[in-house]
Amino acid sequence: MEAYRQEIILGAVALYMVFCVITGLWAMRRTSDASDFFVAGRGLGPIVISLALFSSTLSGFGFVGGPGLVYSIGVSSFWMITISTAGYALGFFMVSKRIRMIAELRNCISLPDVLAARYGSEAVRLLVAITIVLGVMGYLATQILAMAVVMQAILSGTAMFADIGLVACVAISSTVLIFYCVTGGIIASVYTDVVQGGIMMVAGVLILLTAMSVFDGGMTEATSIILKDDSEAIMPWGSAGIMASLGWFFVFGLGLAGQPHLVTKMMMNRNISDNRHIFPLSVMGYVLAALLWVSIGIIMRATVIDGVIPPLGLPDDAASVFLSVFTSPLLAGIVFAGLFAAIMSTSDAFLNIGTAAIIHDIPKAIWGKNIENELMWARIVTVILAIVAALFALYSYYADATLVALLGAFGWATFAASLFPVVALGLNWKGATVPGAVAAIVSALIINFGVQLAGIALPYGVSGGLLSFVVSLFLFLSVSLITKPPVLDRDIDRVMDI
Amino acid sequence: MGRQLIYVIAAICAAMTIILFLILTAEPVANAGGSAHPIFAGMRIGGDGLARLEHIGSLGYAFQALLLSLIVAFATLGVSEKHRTPRLRAYMIATLIFSLFILWQMVSSHLSFIATGETTYFMGFPAPTAWAMYGVWLGGIPLVLIYTLGFRQFIYTDEDQAEFEKLVAKSAAEGQETNNNPEEAR
Repeated sequence: MEAYRQEIILGAVALYMVFCVITGLWAMRRTSDASDFFVAGRGLGPIVISLALFSSTLSGFGFVGGPGLVYSIGVSSFWMITISTAGYALGFFMVSKRIRMIAELRNCISLPDVLAARYGSEAVRLLVAITIVLGVMGYLATQILAMAVVMQAILSGTAMFADIGLVACVAISSTVLIFYCVTGGIIASVYTDVVQGGIMMVAGVLILLTAMSVFDGGMTEATSIILKDDSEAIMPWGSAGIMASLGWFFVFGLGLAGQPHLVTKMMMNRNISDNRHIFPLSVMGYVLAALLWVSIGIIMRATVIDGVIPPLGLPDDAASVFLSVFTSPLLAGIVFAGLFAAIMSTSDAFLNIGTAAIIHDIPKAIWGKNIENELMWARIVTVILAIVAALFALYSYYADATLVALLGAFGWATFAASLFPVVALGLNWKGATVPGAVAAIVSALIINFGVQLAGIALPYGVSGGLLSFVVSLFLFLSVSLITKPPVLDRDIDRVMDI
Repeated sequence: MGRQLIYVIAAICAAMTIILFLILTAEPVANAGGSAHPIFAGMRIGGDGLARLEHIGSLGYAFQALLLSLIVAFATLGVSEKHRTPRLRAYMIATLIFSLFILWQMVSSHLSFIATGETTYFMGFPAPTAWAMYGVWLGGIPLVLIYTLGFRQFIYTDEDQAEFEKLVAKSAAEGQETNNNPEEAR
């Protein structure tokens, strides 16, 4: 079997992609209008939603960038994972019930739709839609780049595709993604998410078991090796230090409830009472899948330090090198399919919300009405958005070869800082005002983009994401408290009492 | 805990903003955010743990304690005001105490390691990291239990459901399927 390693891996990935294409064709028959395309007609069951929710959370960033971060900076990146229970908790306590209620009452198909109804403001709709488009570009590009990097690693191991370039890999993987997103919209997206979530959970558990067998002393021996080399790397704050760790803890924990691709899925369940099952199922799925992140990163750092394998060319190679050195071909095939699953499940969600912002929310905010034939335009814009993001990904890769993970974190932080106050606090506090929302979004965008573009390095590893999030929260609350409380629409006012 | 909860949240956010400002303006320490590994390219090391915490350690711990408080306060805000009963408040306070206990264990075992260079291991990780890895994750579990087991008591009661269904029915009867036009719903 070892002699056919690359063929088995390639076969597993190809099988998975064929599944995606078939799902797209199947879902096309169930997509008759824009509501089906964007929110699956609000008719999904708890298992579908929970798998879609967690698989969209743990993206290519988690499967490619995550292990790379542990290899590079040790335990620091664990803080993105350990906060997941509290992060999901805030999403469900603060968002899931009321977003679903408003979506049903006002027939909303996007997050900006819900916020326009909550604040009674088209300005809020426009700002949120623009924020989503900006964040989607950064995040979608990250996903496409991760997909292409993994595909290149797989194909270049075969004789036939030994010299395949990154551009060709971007083209192949994007084509599959575009196909099922265009044909089946969010219905194809969530049903592929179900399989993607299943693969990711199985992959996480199997990888943990494999990782524990690399050293005779299991994970304890691996962490002891890292401890002897540099104790801080394996201590709670990792190599990056206390404020970098707490920054991730803050941004990934609180920020989950501000991620538009996740909270939009909270609009799609059939019954509000399903949330009591969706929440624990999502947490469980996420934890199982995240085992891959932790175990690969630790083992790769320990094996390199111990001289078992040579140093990696790039930290982001951690997952692919681990799979090629330590796993059986069959497991490697499952995990590589899982990698694609993780990346695609997030990409399709971003394509969907980005398209909704462009063809539904921005025109509505500017002209006050929907464009005609939204479904047709949704399909056209999905293609254009994916192509633009793919070009952006290639530009980022060739012009500035930074870690895939950091670009992903930037996308997450942008959404977290700008949208968490507006969404999570806005849906639970009647005193939240339009000026407060505008102040939060604008300040978050300026600080996030400013710090990133100017290349400002803040002391003690404090990230621009953390700074922008804290400032945005503070401004949202203080501006709302000093401005006149809004008069809410009657139905919205009653929803906020329930 | 009624309408004043938002003021508690605002106070916590203000305190976190101040602490962040103090950290950003604290006396800098070389390589506080790590430095390149001397042998392996792509790896970073943390170096001297004590030096990195010298000027901002207490501020960092305070920041984390406030963050944990904020999470519990936000979760409480997510419960409708009429369901914030003494029992819910007790559960939320217990959740916060549990999280703060885990933080204290993590910090004290880390400082003990820095002082002595010795540590025990738990489930594959040095004790301080095990508190960070397993403990912090477990710190959110009470919120999962409160939400799941108390769903019909605190989150979405039968009365809430009936009220919402009435609202939807009324909206439909009034022809208020507004295609999300707020003006029509006023």
